[in-house]
Amino acid sequence: MDGPIRRILVYVDGTEGSITAAQYAICLAHHYHAELAALYVVNTRALGDLVKARIFVKAEQEEYQRDLEQDSQRYLNHVRSLARKKGLAIETASTSGSVHQEIKNYVIQNHVDLLVMGELSSVRSRRDELYDDAERSMRSVPCAVLIVKDEERVSALYDALA
Amino acid sequence: MALAELIGPEVVKVPLAGKTKNEVIRELAQLLLDAGRIPQLEAVYDALLAREALGSTGLELGIAVPHAKTAAVRELTAAIGIAPQGIDFQSIDGQPAKLFFLLLAPPDKSGPHIQALAEIARLAKSPTFLRLLASATSAKEVVALLTEG
Repeated sequence: MDGPIRRILVYVDGTEGSITAAQYAICLAHHYHAELAALYVVNTRALGDLVKARIFVKAEQEEYQRDLEQDSQRYLNHVRSLARKKGLAIETASTSGSVHQEIKNYVIQNHVDLLVMGELSSVRSRRDELYDDAERSMRSVPCAVLIVKDEERVSALYDALA
Repeated sequence: MALAELIGPEVVKVPLAGKTKNEVIRELAQLLLDAGRIPQLEAVYDALLAREALGSTGLELGIAVPHAKTAAVRELTAAIGIAPQGIDFQSIDGQPAKLFFLLLAPPDKSGPHIQALAEIARLAKSPTFLRLLASATSAKEVVALLTEG
């Protein structure tokens, strides 16, 4: 593990794009013999903001936080299963807080040298660039970032992996 | 998922015909039904009213965000309506609501649901943008504002 990519982190947020990113990260980890980790962030920052904005009542905040915690386990289990099918070990972690900050913390603390993420939204408004969690993560992490596109091709690459 | 990805002219209504909170919610649900975004109206309408019963989703600055989790949708689904005359939505500032963002999410898509609501919360902090949106006179104008804003 002395190549350019030694430790890969894939950010999983439950979108189809993030699962595709996980498949690609598995292919990369296999090819480069790199260590692989997956992170899900329970976005408690957004939940708190929604209560402050009065869009959520307190009971909703608690309910959605439970939902997100369950989602995190479900999606991380799925990614773990995808890795195991290809004979790869994967470390999974679920944290809570602000998404871009948690990703950055994980990258720094675990010496990640490549962050892999799902495709960004195709329709963007200029306004959103300041706020989108994925874009903020891309800008704030100190390592290389790979945005995975082309679900069909990635799926074929993953399927073809021995 | 960006809000702009969920909104096309077919799920925007300007102006809304409803005169009351419940009429506006039903009208927006009907818009989604007509656009083929929901399979039935009543389950969605009931879910939205059940959420409103916990507390009005009428915010400040004339904006309201009726929303619900419901198994009636399989993907995050949204509609926007504008009522220039204002509707009594029991908003927290007591002012009539003019701009309505309706959001529905299936129970297993909490993450994208929260992201979309957070985006609306950010919009709600911009009085200038809200004024522009509330003064839009067509669905196409609303979509353009959301995309270019």
